[in-house]
Parts: sequence; C-alpha cells; structure tokens
Amino acid sequence: MIDFSRVQKELVECRKDAAGSGIQVSPKSDNLVNLIGTIPGPTGTPYEGGVFQIEITIPDGYPFEPPKMKFTTKVWHPNISSQSGAICLDILKDQWSPALTLKTALLSVQALLSAPQPDDPQDAVVAQQYLKDYQTFVNTARYWTESFAKTSSRGVEDKVQKFVEMGFPEAQVRSILEAVGGDENLALERLL
Amino acid sequence: MEDYGSSDDDYRYSDQEESDCELYENNDQNFELLSSTAQVITEESLLAAQKEDLRRVMDMLSVRQHHARTLLIYHRWDVDHLFEVYVEKGKAYMFSQAGVSVDEYRDSNSLVSASVMCEICMDDIPSDEATRVDCGHCFCNSCWTQHFIVKINEGQSKRIRCMAHKCNSICDEAVVRTLLGRKHPDMAEKYERFLLESYIEDNKRVKWCPSTPHCGNAIRVEGDKLCEVECSCGDQFCFNCLSEAHSPCSCLMWELWEKKCRDESETVNWITVHTKTCPKCHKPVEKNGGCNLVSCICGQAFCWLCGGATGREHTWSSIAGHSCGRYKEQEKTAERAKRDLYRYMHYHNRYKAHTDSFKLESKLKDSIRGRISISEETKSSELSDYSWVHNGLSRLFRSRRVLSYSYAFAFYMFGDELFKEEMSEAEREIKQNLFEDQQQQFESNVEKLSKMLEEPFDTFEYDKVMEIRMQIIDLTTLIDGLCKKMYECIENDLLGSINLGTIHSIAPYRSKGIEKASELQVCWSNKANNTGKSTINSIAPYIDCSTSVVIAVTQHIFYDHVGFLIYKLICLVNIVVC
Ligand SMILES: [Zn+2]
Ligand SMILES: [Zn+2]
Ligand SMILES: [Zn+2]
Ligand SMILES: [Zn+2]
Ligand SMILES: [Zn+2]
Ligand SMILES: [Zn+2]
Ligand SMILES: [Zn+2]
Repeated sequence: MIDFSRVQKELVECRKDAAGSGIQVSPKSDNLVNLIGTIPGPTGTPYEGGVFQIEITIPDGYPFEPPKMKFTTKVWHPNISSQSGAICLDILKDQWSPALTLKTALLSVQALLSAPQPDDPQDAVVAQQYLKDYQTFVNTARYWTESFAKTSSRGVEDKVQKFVEMGFPEAQVRSILEAVGGDENLALERLL
Repeated sequence: MEDYGSSDDDYRYSDQEESDCELYENNDQNFELLSSTAQVITEESLLAAQKEDLRRVMDMLSVRQHHARTLLIYHRWDVDHLFEVYVEKGKAYMFSQAGVSVDEYRDSNSLVSASVMCEICMDDIPSDEATRVDCGHCFCNSCWTQHFIVKINEGQSKRIRCMAHKCNSICDEAVVRTLLGRKHPDMAEKYERFLLESYIEDNKRVKWCPSTPHCGNAIRVEGDKLCEVECSCGDQFCFNCLSEAHSPCSCLMWELWEKKCRDESETVNWITVHTKTCPKCHKPVEKNGGCNLVSCICGQAFCWLCGGATGREHTWSSIAGHSCGRYKEQEKTAERAKRDLYRYMHYHNRYKAHTDSFKLESKLKDSIRGRISISEETKSSELSDYSWVHNGLSRLFRSRRVLSYSYAFAFYMFGDELFKEEMSEAEREIKQNLFEDQQQQFESNVEKLSKMLEEPFDTFEYDKVMEIRMQIIDLTTLIDGLCKKMYECIENDLLGSINLGTIHSIAPYRSKGIEKASELQVCWSNKANNTGKSTINSIAPYIDCSTSVVIAVTQHIFYDHVGFLIYKLICLVNIVVC
C-alpha cells in the first residue's frame, strides 16, 4: 500500500530546490522503495566540505510510518553508528509525523550533524570521546570526512602513500590513520 | 462478635465452597467498617464503570466525552488526581499537557473553499472529503483513516495524536470511529475495545482477575488498595500483588516465600552438598562435626572428601590408612547453611501442616454436611438448626489459612533475610516470644475446634448437642478474637515498629474473611434483575452494591497465574556424630 504518488511528488519537489538546500533524493534503481539521499556537511562543523550519502528505504506504511534511513558514507558522530551508519533520531522513530517528508527528514539529519546529542548516543565509543576528549573527536570526525565524504581526498592519499613507501602494509596504514584522525606522528607511533 | 451468639435465623446455608462461608455471618455489618469496597467489573459492566468517571469529569470541567477520556487516560483514570492538577495548575495547562484542544477551530473556521490541499497525500481534495480536528489541522479522510489504522496496529489506540508535525493534540474518538467505521469496521471495533480496556489497564484502582483460565472480569477497589478480594468467579487474591490471598504475610514476604518453596534446590542441593552416601550401607550421612572423618550408623567410617572407606583412627589433618590429600575444609559456611535449612524446615513443616489440615477438613466438611442435612429433615426445629456448625467450619477454614501463612510470616519476621538490621538480637527475641505466644494460643484453639467439629453430634442426645453447640459457638468467637489480636500484634508491635515505609504493610484482618467483590450494577437497566441474579448461588445480603455500571472485555490473559506451592518432601538424613 505504498503511496508512490506521494513519493513521486516528493522527488519532484526535491529536484526543484536542490540547488538551494543542497539536499538531493534520487531512486537507487528503477523502483521507488530504495532511494539515495545526499546531504552536504554543515558549515562550521567537522563535516564541512563532505557530501554524505544516506540509504533510504520506504516502508509499506509510508508516509504513515517513518522512512528507514542510514548513512552509507562512513561518519564519526555520537548519534550515528560508525559501524553500520544507523541513525538515532526521534523523528525517524516515535516522533515521526506523516506531515514530514523525505526532505524535511534529511534536513533534520543534517541538523543532527551540527548538533550532536551525546546523551542519547547511537555509538557509545564516539559519544564517550565527544564528552571526554572533544578535540580528538573533532580531529577524528574531520579526518573521516576527509577520507570518506570527499570525492577527491588528495591529502589522505598522500599520507597513505608516504607510509606505504616506508614499507607499512596499506590496509594497516589506512585503519590506523582513521583511528588517530589523520595525525601522522600518532600514526607512525602506532605503526612502529 | 455478637454475631455468633445471636439468633441463627439470619444464617442460611449455601452450597458453595468453604470460601463462601462468610455468607452465614451477614448480620454483622457494623462489626467491621473497612475502607475498601471491591466491585466486579464484567464484560457487561465495563462501559458503565468508565462512564461514571467520564461523567464526573465532563460535569466538573464542562468538556465533551472524548476530551474527558483523553484527560482520564492521561491521568490513569485517577479522577481525584486529575482534579488536583486542575486546581493547582489550571485548565489550560492540564489540557495542553494531556493533548486536549478545545474546539476553537470547529465551525468558526469551517471549510469554505471547494477544495483543500492535503499535506499528507499532497493532493487537492474536495472539502467534504477532508476532516478538521480540534487542534485545527485538516487532512483528507483517506489519510486520516490510514493514520488511524497504523496507530491502532501499533497499539496506540488510547492516544492517537494529530498527523501534523509536533502537534500534541489527541484525535477526537468520534472522528476515529466515524472514519474507520466507513470502510474498516474491524478496526473500529478494535479501537473501541482498546478504549474500553484502557479503563482496566491504565487504572490503578482496577485490575484483571488473575484467574486462569481468565474469567473475563476485572475488580475495582475503592479506598485502600492493600486488600484481599474474591472475584465472582471464586478466585481469591491479593489485590496488591495478584497472587493468592496471603495475609498476614506482606506481599514481599509472600513473594520470597513462594520462591523459596518452589526452589527445590534449596533443600535438595543442601542434602547433596552436605551429605554423602555411606560406602557400605548407602544411606546418606551428614557430617556433623569438625573433621572430615565421618562414620555412619552402620559403623563404617569414611573420608568425607572422597567418600572412600577408612579406618577410625584420625587426627585433624589425617586419617589412618588413607591419603586422598583433600583433607581440609571450610567449616563455617556448611554450618551456617545447615542452620538456615533447619530453620526453614521448621517453618515450612508447620506451614504445610496447616495447609494439609485445611485439605483434610475440607473433606470433613462434606461428611458433616451430609450428616446434618439428614437430621435437619428429621429432627425438631431447634435441633435441626445447624448454623453453628457452618459458622464453626468457616471459622476453622479461615483460621487454617491464616495459621499457615503466619509461619511464612514468622520465618521472615524473625529471620535475617529482611530485618537483620532493623532489630537487635534481644529485641527480636522479645518480639518473637510475644508473637509465638499469640500464635500458639490461636493455634491450640483452632485444633480444639477442629476436634470438636469431628464429633458425631448428629447422633447425640438433645442435651449433649446443646452443650457442644454452646462450646463450638464460644470457641468460634474466641478464635475470631485471637486471630484479630494476632493481626493487631503483627501490624502494631511487629511491623509497625519497623520503619521501612509501606512495603511490609499487610492486608487488614477481616472477621468475615476475604471480601467478595460485589457485582457492579447497571444503573439504567433494571436493578431488580440484577439482584435476582446474585442470589442464585449466594445470599450475600451484606453486600450493598450501589453505584455503577458498563462493556466487553475480551479474553486476553494478562497475568500468568502464580500457581500454588509445590510442596516438597524433606529427605531424611542420618545424623552421625563423629
Ligand atoms: Zn490526504
Ligand atoms: Zn493538530
Ligand atoms: Zn475472576
Ligand atoms: Zn500481596
Ligand atoms: Zn552405613
Ligand atoms: Zn579421602
Ligand atoms: Zn573426629
């Protein structure tokens, strides 16, 4: 009983003002059940400059039931799982209202990037870091944005290249750089 | 206590089980004025029961029924609390908190244009196919309908919010009913049922009867919720914790006791851990002394640690002719466990003895009834009146229950589990003596009554019958008084002095036994009919059913009935001193 006409209309609406909001929604394949949403990282946050992809699944009861959303771009954020991309956001759960749309939901997700709520975490590790060591959190989030949310991540590739040339295995280099937020000195310490 | 000696004309005989025995004592209405009155809410009376509360709120606040219901559901059907909030915080606050929007938009802002844009389906809809709700939000009927279905299936019937984002307003039940009724009568029915059952499930004063299979009734209690009630299906239970009626145990004590009795391991493990089979005669032998050489009554000595037969010579660290190398042990825990187990066995045995007597006496009751029903027909009027026997029997059954529970009570009252920190050793001893004094007096008189009731008085001569009649009447009265005194001792001297709040409060003593919940009456239907119905198998005129009314409760079983105790055999153990 999916109301495809409403999804259809929403897609049209989104396309109209995509330039303004930067938010895009497009079908993943030829059906309207699986969609891809795209949001730009908000300015003034560690996510600035990144473009984040969100996988959207439209449930049977849509719009009376909330759409399912999760990040496919890796992101370092207290309310988003660094493993699975699952999002902890009330309007995607019990605070959903049929009057909300995919676009308004994506705007809320974007707002969540600007204003993390570490007290209601999806990722406990990130939330701990956010609360106890804010600077490291910012560095890691920025590095993850650099590594995963940017189409050209020249800086990252350069660092990886450098360590590989020093003789370290590439996979290990990448995972350690992610863990230390791109800090070359820390990465070297750990590699040694 | 004047009831027992008075003219017996008021007593009539009923054919029901022993739990109904209080029916004979209907003339002592003034004897106990207890605060709680229980009423049975049946499928038929559920609607009426909640209408009463709805009506009060509608009258008081001049609101329509669906608003009253929204308010009541929000405040868990606690009318008094609702009025308190109203007085303290005001109407506006109370309404917005509960999600009530009063009809500001209705009519005044009625739909003028021919069509409206529904924000949900994003279609233009003729205005007669759209519905505006109390908060002013307007969407098309088909979107509303789907929204209702989704919410009902999610189990949120009681509070279906408006579809607009961040609108806290609860949808008018009439709108839900009307829109669903058009195409989805099954959902409308489901919605209706959830609304009705909210009165039971969200209501502190009302609980489903815990009987299995479920009788379909709920019980409403006015006043103190710590009480014991009997449903019209015959199930007797503690309204507070929903297990069987267990006073003078507190709910917590009873919960612990039941668990303890059910927990086979308590005893069995102890026996496996603390006894060993003799290598010669294979009887279990308990180690009762300090060292690890034990000897069985058959004369065989063996090593406690490996079970191997040994010679009898030993020191603290070795046994002659034996060297398994495990000859050391921690004494204290074993001794303690043993002491605890014996303590438990002491109370459990007495607890069980009274429960067993209760069962035996229930059989006795049948034979007595058989005997006296014959003499009732054959003898003269004075002799054929056996109400004193019925009264004696009902007092006996009630007392047996109390006696058996009183041992569970004593187990916790004077044990370490609950009140270790609350009393000094000396204090405890004084209290225990005080209590046991009363318990023993009560107990010995109950046994006396039991014995007397076994007499074949139907075969006695007139004088002898009159004599035993007087004795039984006196004893019955005495026992009632003793039982009451024991309850008072528990409430005031024992539990009353322990400052732990109400967690250990007990249901008050009722001379007449557990209160039978009265049938809720449907005011506007014929009252006469109802009264007639209740006399089919009971007399119960002391139940002054008065007020209220009601609809259908479906057969959900909401509570797993806590089964009766599993009794255990305490194994026999040969105790042998080393
Ligand atoms: Zn619509
Ligand atoms: Zn609204
Ligand atoms: Zn019942
Ligand atoms: Zn209880
Ligand atoms: Zn033996
Ligand atoms: Zn041994
Ligand atoms: Zn010894």
